[in-house]
Amino acid sequence: MTFILFFSVFLIAACGLIYELIAGALASYLLGDSILQFSTVIGTYLFAMGIGSYLSRFIGRGLVARFVTIEAMVGLIGGFSSSILFLAFAYTESFRFLLYSLVTLIGILVGLEIPLLMRILKDRFQFHDLVAHVLTFDYLGALGASILFPLLLVPRLGMVRSALLFGILNAAVAFWSTFIFRHQIGSPAGLRVICLMVLAALGAGMVGADRLTGLAEENLYADEVILSRNTRYQRIVLTRWKDDLRLFLNSHLQFSSRDEYRYHEALVHPGLAALPHARSVLVLGGGDGLAVREILRYPQIERVTLVDLDPEMTQLFSTNPMLTELNGRSLLSPKVRVINADAFPWLSENGEMFDFVAVDFPDPTNFSLGKLYTTAFYRLLAKHLSASAYVAVQSTSPLFARTSFWCIVETIRGAGLKAHPYHVYVPSFGEWGFVLAGAFPYEPPALLPEDLRFLTPANLSNLFDFPRDMQPVDVQPNRLNDQILVRYYEKEWSQIAR
Amino acid sequence: MEPDRPLVPSRRRFLSAALVGLSQKSGRAVTGSFVLESHEAGHRLRDRAFAAMPAREQRVPLVIVGGGIAGLCAAWRLRRRGFRDFVVLEMEDRAGGNARWGENEISQYPWAAHYVPVPGPGPSLARELFEELGLFEDGEPSERHLCFSPQERLFLQGRWQEGLEPAGTPKDIDQYKRFSDRMADFRANGAFRIPAGDSLRLGELDRLSMRDWLLREGFDSSYLQWYCDYSCRDDYGCSSADASAWAGIHYFAAREDHDPGPFTWPEGNGWLVKRLLERVGTHVRTGATVCQAAREKNRWRIVTKEIAYVSDAVIFAAPTFLAPFLIEDMPAPQAFEYSPWVTANLTLDRLPRERGVPLAWDNVIFNSPSLGYVVATHQSLASRIERSVWTYYWALADGEPAARRRDLLASGWNRWKEAILDDLTRAHPDIRECVSRIDILRLGHAMIRPSVGFLTSQARRKFTAYEADNFWFANSDLSGISIFEEAQYRGVTAADRALARISK
Repeated sequence: MTFILFFSVFLIAACGLIYELIAGALASYLLGDSILQFSTVIGTYLFAMGIGSYLSRFIGRGLVARFVTIEAMVGLIGGFSSSILFLAFAYTESFRFLLYSLVTLIGILVGLEIPLLMRILKDRFQFHDLVAHVLTFDYLGALGASILFPLLLVPRLGMVRSALLFGILNAAVAFWSTFIFRHQIGSPAGLRVICLMVLAALGAGMVGADRLTGLAEENLYADEVILSRNTRYQRIVLTRWKDDLRLFLNSHLQFSSRDEYRYHEALVHPGLAALPHARSVLVLGGGDGLAVREILRYPQIERVTLVDLDPEMTQLFSTNPMLTELNGRSLLSPKVRVINADAFPWLSENGEMFDFVAVDFPDPTNFSLGKLYTTAFYRLLAKHLSASAYVAVQSTSPLFARTSFWCIVETIRGAGLKAHPYHVYVPSFGEWGFVLAGAFPYEPPALLPEDLRFLTPANLSNLFDFPRDMQPVDVQPNRLNDQILVRYYEKEWSQIAR
Repeated sequence: MEPDRPLVPSRRRFLSAALVGLSQKSGRAVTGSFVLESHEAGHRLRDRAFAAMPAREQRVPLVIVGGGIAGLCAAWRLRRRGFRDFVVLEMEDRAGGNARWGENEISQYPWAAHYVPVPGPGPSLARELFEELGLFEDGEPSERHLCFSPQERLFLQGRWQEGLEPAGTPKDIDQYKRFSDRMADFRANGAFRIPAGDSLRLGELDRLSMRDWLLREGFDSSYLQWYCDYSCRDDYGCSSADASAWAGIHYFAAREDHDPGPFTWPEGNGWLVKRLLERVGTHVRTGATVCQAAREKNRWRIVTKEIAYVSDAVIFAAPTFLAPFLIEDMPAPQAFEYSPWVTANLTLDRLPRERGVPLAWDNVIFNSPSLGYVVATHQSLASRIERSVWTYYWALADGEPAARRRDLLASGWNRWKEAILDDLTRAHPDIRECVSRIDILRLGHAMIRPSVGFLTSQARRKFTAYEADNFWFANSDLSGISIFEEAQYRGVTAADRALARISK
């Protein structure tokens, strides 16, 4: 009997620490800056435990019943804490508020546990033995939890299921307490029903954990999915592994935070740095705000118009702290105007002129996207260019999809523009291609913004040099009435995938 | 081939109702109605039941009866030649005839004709008009007006395949190749042109049916036979057993082998009607049903409900079969047979699920009695299309046209709606959950049939050459082929003849 009692202390201590660790880890995982997150979460948690301990003095009669109820509540709230936080991160903008509310609530409940338990047990043990034993097992539980959490729980179970598992242990303690202390409870049946309901809810949570966070997707994505959202237009998935944040749209990798600067510097600077008089810039696609971040490096740019189909995408990259940190809050700049529209009809109905255009559409994987790579599209785009303007077009990989890449080049030429193809190496993508287009021949600029991480004026001209295995091939331009690019692309990428 | 029996519930539907004791998952409520009904007015014309006592009389040198493509192109020609003293009388509320269109909150959509092949580089009337309308840029067809890719697909063996030719066994493929070579020969010999005009070298090909010609030439592949039958129903509204071989071959041999087009628009050939109306709309009087055209002294008196037009000359661009009902002593054009049709525009709140290649512009279901559907939103520039309008065509090709016309009028909207949804369900099992509205147009005399012998008939020659009393026929039915270029050719030719006579 004594062993079971102290084992219970061990378990509830472990549970309490696990919830705290999960809250701290999730906060640093999702918000970054782990020192800040862990410090504030631990501080809040300990302070809330203090409040709980103080509140315990107001509990007079029915100690055991109160203890069981509190245990069940800790199990329920703590067990679902990480699920709630993940969902809040994906679907609300009040993640921080919920985080600290949950930490405070769990802290208060956990703070109540030990004082109540000591009062329940005070008649069974000598006081000095009681304090020594309870605190010993309390600290042992903390040790166990802190070792298990990083080594076994996070890698094997993940945050959501770890929290649920410990919620179940908490509720189990509550349940067997109704048997251990049955002589001190008036009517144990009601409490047992509550405990069983909590256990059932947590059990169901374990079973449904896949759905809660898209854990099923973790099989698809190498890293842990921290956000997944089905918008009207696409499926947005964000994964994270250490400092590498990756965005997937409909399972296609859009960027990795480790090397996206290579891609976005290459998309923007070769063209824009050559246009010292540019004032007004258009970005088509690129709702992640990363190209806009590069554009805003030029103080003379007065206006950036971003046209992206999906309002949820631009909203996410305007509000989510982790993502706004990555794009430098670019979408919130007063110079930036975000328009959620389909690019081709928008251009067709709009008469504005631009000095530089960055075209960052998804690859031409289907006929709908293929329209955005046609001579008709580039002809229309050309009508929106001021006299000396350039357009930079992301143009898939000249190595893996060589025919597709040169088809885009040919299409731009077919629309009456001069095309200057170039390429860079982006580790997470491989060798990647762009086309700079305009009415005039192109000279690489002698100056670039100073704080770039990849491009230098000296290496700029190398980008325009294509090694043998990426050199031009004989292709037809892509037109609305044949969409030959989609056929090239399908053929080439299916060979890579095999 | 399955019998064309639209009004009987499909076996699957019948079984599910009878055996399971449950009706099929009914999907959502579908609204809609018959639209643009014209048979009542037509029948009153036929029965000479219009009692028009026009209050006014108007003197005008030339009257064009009928505001379809032929009438509008006659007007276009007259204006191009500097002649302005004419009116176009259209019985409907809107001009356009078989190129009429509609519009709802999602898209514009056609009610009949919906494309024109890109005219070849040589001089032609279609080329002249299309250059004027900006459909060519630097001699190249404008990409925005060409049919976007993917253009055609066929539902065969449970999935959609690319293109309309059914993929078959090596024997089928071999016959396709041979058929395609024969068509190339016909194309090369120059007899099959668009417009076909009057100087046709018809030979014996008008004296047998397309089906008989295929059999005679040893084309026994059932896939190839289906394809040729589909083509006849698509262009002429009749089966390959009824269409003359000359017309059946014309469908293939008159078009360029590597057509970059066709030209098409969300509202179909309504786009061309709008452009023509921009040029000649001031001459067009809509809602002007002609009840009578009578010769008085040396003039024509064209009577409508409100105005009697007194003219020197008449171009009759309305369907030729109407002429005897309006004009005394005009012999009935006996050999002229017309195909009854149903066109439906379906409003889809979402696109249905399906298997195979993605949605195309023209979507055909193998062995269906219908002709499939054309997607009105296909020419949209948007990369994301969530709602759409499909224009569904059904030529009542089997049996006697008169009997099928009676079927057409006897069945209510609900039965047509069910028949259409049943047909589409084969390729789209959840179509009933996607469609919110079906508007149906019934046309008893939708288009002329180039039946065996019609093109070589004396009757046809009589009307094409008709020239008495400054009166010319101009409907495309004179050509036996109901397409834009024929209508334009007939309208322009009549305009030229009228001008030659009037200016004398």
